[in-house]
Amino acid sequence: MIEITGSPIDYAAVTERVRSPRAGAVCTFLGTVREFTGDQRTVALAYEAYAEMALKKMAELEEQARRRWPIIELALVHRVGDLELGEVSVVVAVSCPHRQESFEACRWLIDTLKEVVPIWKKEIWEGGREEWVHPGLHPI
Amino acid sequence: MIAAVVPAAGSSVRMGRPKLLVELNGQSLIGRVVSALRLGGVGHVVVVAPPADAAHGPEIAAQARSAGALVIVPGTRPAEMRDSIELGLEWLAKHDSPRSVVLTPGDYPGITPAIVAQLLEYAARFPDRVVLPSYNGRRGHPIVLPWRIAVEVHSLPAGTGINALVARHPDDLAELALSDHAVVTDLDTPEDLKRWKERQERLRVQVRFFALAKDRAGRSEIELELAGGSKVADVRAVLAERFPALGPLLATVLIAVNEEYAGEDALISPGSRLAVIPPVSGGAGDFSRVGLCLARQKGAFRR
Repeated sequence: MIEITGSPIDYAAVTERVRSPRAGAVCTFLGTVREFTGDQRTVALAYEAYAEMALKKMAELEEQARRRWPIIELALVHRVGDLELGEVSVVVAVSCPHRQESFEACRWLIDTLKEVVPIWKKEIWEGGREEWVHPGLHPI
Repeated sequence: MIAAVVPAAGSSVRMGRPKLLVELNGQSLIGRVVSALRLGGVGHVVVVAPPADAAHGPEIAAQARSAGALVIVPGTRPAEMRDSIELGLEWLAKHDSPRSVVLTPGDYPGITPAIVAQLLEYAARFPDRVVLPSYNGRRGHPIVLPWRIAVEVHSLPAGTGINALVARHPDDLAELALSDHAVVTDLDTPEDLKRWKERQERLRVQVRFFALAKDRAGRSEIELELAGGSKVADVRAVLAERFPALGPLLATVLIAVNEEYAGEDALISPGSRLAVIPPVSGGAGDFSRVGLCLARQKGAFRR
């Protein structure tokens, strides 16, 4: 299951989708909107995706992960649009026969997703200042 | 079996030189058309060439032959295009009458194997109909005629052509609307040729902007016209010039071509979907992992 959605993600339902009697381990990762980055206070986040390419890259991640680990079911769901504090921005859910492989696959999927899938986040800081998060890019 | 007849006996009066020998991308015009028909799935391609004693007649015949055509060289120049088509059909009738016949003049430079294959696929769905391609509502070439209708050419009144034949069968037409102007573009004059070459040399592409790049450019997309043979690095240069506000940001972005990260020397083809990709939110900022993916995929961008 690969999805980009503008609505709140029902992470329990996503987790339920990957459960299987063949699995001995289900690992679900949630990315959520954090209030403080250092001493800067976030009031909201906005995510933007290049959806056509993001879906393609997410499908490639699924394919690569399935080659590396004995994955039974897998779900990658990313939220776009405006998010409030505490809301879920991304869900990675993986079921495998054993826990170690499910932890590894889940961790690799979220780390790689955040590096290669074209989805960006904009911080809306307290006071109204907005800032795109582009790692490695010095304020210009 | 599907056969094709290409009337190529004309004298290119308006072009001022033998147009079927005009070279486009290293191939003669007649050779291009024959190749497109053959690669698009036509069995026999019958080219009706000028008589052997006509200026450039033998060269046209040779070019058609080397592209895989069966060439008919008439004793005297056929008066009309329709007469050439009749000669081609007679030859086919004597050998094995095909199920359908593709007719196309030899001077349609943009006809590709893909266009031919699309028409044949459509003709297979409507085997008893005349299949005509159109572009923006204009009918063009190649047309595909069921054999039973093609042979009616012989009974057309003098002075009428293939259009009259099509007009006889208004209920048997299947029009295929295509998005390629090639089906209505022929080369009759030096101006036609010049315009066609210019069109070929320009690359029109769509570029989308995201995140900070979108804010800086002040828009989410733009259509760019690039010189033929442009690469990703050239796109960067054009964007830097058009959008000074992108400034140093451009050095940090990746360019995607058709939803894939592309290297700097990847060639851009017409109609490519480009996107400016600033570093994504969870990355290390140097696209190090993307770089690895890119190295693996690099071959895919070199067409």
